[in-house]
Amino acid sequence: MTPSDSDVALMLRVRDGDADAFRELVERHQRAVINTIHRAIGDAWEAEDLAQRVFLQVYRSAKRYQPTAKFTTWLFTITRNTILNEHRRRSRHAAESLEALQDPADPESTGWQAPDTTSPDPAQEVIESELKKKIMEAVQELPEAQRTAVILCRYEGLSYEEIAQVLRCSVSATKSLLHRARLTLKEKLRGYYQ
Amino acid sequence: MSCRAIREQFDERLDGRLARSQEAAFDAHVAACPDCRPEWRAYAGAWEIIERQAGIEPSFGFVERTLRRLDEQPTVGRSWFWQPSVRWVTLAAAVVALSVGGWAERERRQERRQAELYAHVQQADYLEDFDVIANLDQIEGGNHL
Repeated sequence: MTPSDSDVALMLRVRDGDADAFRELVERHQRAVINTIHRAIGDAWEAEDLAQRVFLQVYRSAKRYQPTAKFTTWLFTITRNTILNEHRRRSRHAAESLEALQDPADPESTGWQAPDTTSPDPAQEVIESELKKKIMEAVQELPEAQRTAVILCRYEGLSYEEIAQVLRCSVSATKSLLHRARLTLKEKLRGYYQ
Repeated sequence: MSCRAIREQFDERLDGRLARSQEAAFDAHVAACPDCRPEWRAYAGAWEIIERQAGIEPSFGFVERTLRRLDEQPTVGRSWFWQPSVRWVTLAAAVVALSVGGWAERERRQERRQAELYAHVQQADYLEDFDVIANLDQIEGGNHL
């Protein structure tokens, strides 16, 4: 059974009210959902809160779930809608989260620690930190559809077809979004790559 | 292969969507072309580098907290009222009730209007009679002259 098949099997059990199956789904996909949201909004604490809302939505929608598409495509569609709602809510209320008061592109400022892959050299650490900040900014500044396409393609490894389903557009439109995003990233990150 | 054709394949090359022969032709062109080589290196370089943005780990107890929030939510699905079939029947009943209510109200208004009109006509007859009587006095008075 592929992970995709087992996701569908788990979801069908959730549909029948199996709480253990739901727990397993959350355990399996928590990292992907949290990181997708974090990369889109740049706020680690809120990313967790929104990720919880995504999973609650999954649970609430379980009765209506039809295994017509890959589970992850459905999950990322809910994730994207949740992010969009959050952006709308933020622009409506102009609410400032704790994160907004800090530097949104600085993962250090959130109290969150990415896995330590840096060298012990302090100068190198500063460069790495600066680079991560720059990358975060560059991705977050992309228009929403381009950003989602980049996150799903680069970080979550979704195919063009799956991204097209999440974005509710054609495969050619998805390719075009990715192309434009890459051109922008190339310009914004110029000087940071060899 | 032209430079333009090569640049149109940048995305497919990055995503590993080129056939092996196309990939070999692409790589050969880029290696030899002084215009395409820096373009490709910049394009691919930016894409490679964003992967260095490591993800965050869920905080301790994330799953438990999610499940706890679930306990605060209604059970799977919504209450019976929000079942689509119940919702549609309720909506249809509301539409029927409004239509019947509207029709009854219209009938009632029409009856009331007819009654008012009848009363008005009755009153008008009386006034007409009254006028005739009043005029009669004048006529009679005139006759006296």
